Amino acid sequence: MSLQRLWLSNYRNFEGQEWLPSTGVNLVVGANAQGKTNLLEAVALLSSGRILRSVKDDSAAIRLGEDAAEVLGEIRGPGTELKVVLRRGQRRRAFLNSVGMAKTSDLLGRLPTVVFSNSDLAIVREDAGERRRFLDLELSQMYPVYLRHLSMYKRALEQRNALLKQVNHQRVEDASFEIWEAQLGEHGKAMREYRHRFCGELLVKASRIHDELGSEVLDLAYEEADFGDLTEALASGRAREIHRGTTQVGPHRDDLSISVNGKLARNYGSQGQQRTAALSLKLATIELIQDTLGEPPVILLDDVLSELDMHRREHLLSFVLHTQTQTILTCTEANQAGSEVQKDATIFSVRAGNVEPA
Amino acid sequence: MLFAKPLGDLISQLEKLPGIGPKSAQRLAFYLVRQPEDDVRMLSESLVRAKQALRFCERCQNMSELALCSICSDAKRDQTTICVVAEPRDVAAVERINEYHGTYHVLHGLMSPMDGIGPENLKVRELLARLGGEMAEVIVATNPTIEGDATALYLAKLLKPTGVKVTRLAYGMPVGGELDYADSATLHSALEYRREL
Ligand SMILES: [Zn+2]
Repeated sequence: MSLQRLWLSNYRNFEGQEWLPSTGVNLVVGANAQGKTNLLEAVALLSSGRILRSVKDDSAAIRLGEDAAEVLGEIRGPGTELKVVLRRGQRRRAFLNSVGMAKTSDLLGRLPTVVFSNSDLAIVREDAGERRRFLDLELSQMYPVYLRHLSMYKRALEQRNALLKQVNHQRVEDASFEIWEAQLGEHGKAMREYRHRFCGELLVKASRIHDELGSEVLDLAYEEADFGDLTEALASGRAREIHRGTTQVGPHRDDLSISVNGKLARNYGSQGQQRTAALSLKLATIELIQDTLGEPPVILLDDVLSELDMHRREHLLSFVLHTQTQTILTCTEANQAGSEVQKDATIFSVRAGNVEPA
Repeated sequence: MLFAKPLGDLISQLEKLPGIGPKSAQRLAFYLVRQPEDDVRMLSESLVRAKQALRFCERCQNMSELALCSICSDAKRDQTTICVVAEPRDVAAVERINEYHGTYHVLHGLMSPMDGIGPENLKVRELLARLGGEMAEVIVATNPTIEGDATALYLAKLLKPTGVKVTRLAYGMPVGGELDYADSATLHSALEYRREL
């Protein structure tokens, strides 16, 4: 699966831009603030319905002085056209072959991507929320049913938390709690099954890659925040949680523990070990998506080369060339990509919101 | 002031309607004040008349002109089957297919603690009151959202001791729909409620 044609209209600093990437490696070269990351972000938007760099509302991604922005992509393979429309003060909307989709998250899985950016380190280093976000995104683009369980779970969680807060000022019968807890139990159990399986499969691949990168031992373990049946854990935790007003058990409290040479990478890993672990996880994800969906995802590399040492950079680039999938790689200088990639790549230059073959 | 007071008042009244934002409210207000006075009077009178004449059917809680609605008072309808729906518009949707011959019960909402809606805010007690006697089946036809699922579960638990048969509408692929266009939620439930061929 690959992106055949991208059309940007008033998206960030692009006014009206057509881009025809190659099916191989695309090297997008430009100085800072010229728009190369915007281009990559637009592809990620078509893939996930989300904007990579967190924005308060969609206005930040719409060209100054315009009311709406449009990102359209033609996908080779199934022959589909994906479109995302951003409008000031309105809900973001997604379209499949011009037919409106119920939610932008329904885009997930139509153009699978794996994004490498400098914030990947957060997966290893920051709190558990970052790791859950990683698991949720990758699982959602592989399994639409996971996405369904996830969104039902999130909504049921909001409802139960609202109920917990109500108890302080009115009587709530147990049956009202039980129905939300039953739903959390059902969807939460399904989410955990998917996450356990994913982490197990990821471990096999990531530990091999990690060993190749630096002869160290990577270990992953999915850790549940509670034991036994989730619906029962929710019921028995109710009295305690009423004081806090939030639900303390369930997959939204779980973590993926990442350790290197037997020590928790988050607390005890050097920056180099953390970086290698993050890289191993992402590369393993590419292989896993390829195994699961039968073809590799599009790889998006957002200015990551300058942050990596020569050894890791070469490993990453040879992995990309070896995968033979569509890749979009941004950098400030073409020579950062090394001679082997430059030889194979189609090179584009981005200047002031214009993309041209270099 | 932006608008003359009577116009401003009209706009703020229209803005209170569901789905009407400030811009639409202004557009409607300008449209209305330009209409012939008779037309405007007819509109305002029909608003008041509808409000005064309509009440909840004392059995099914649907909107009705009489104490019993036309479905509840129809001897040809099967009074031992109740189809439970969230809103009056859902009754209209099921009626359109002309295949269902039982009665309805309108809850007027779904359970949603986030919106402050619990069972006491829905017509649940009124449903329970209907179950004495020879009720054969209660079909729960709430939407397959988390709130629809939760409400269905609540009713199932509540009705279980009465011994009445409780069923839930199956949800899946729209007939004539293409697999590729179905959202993941629809496909999932279609898969879940698949049947043997
Ligand atoms: Zn009635």
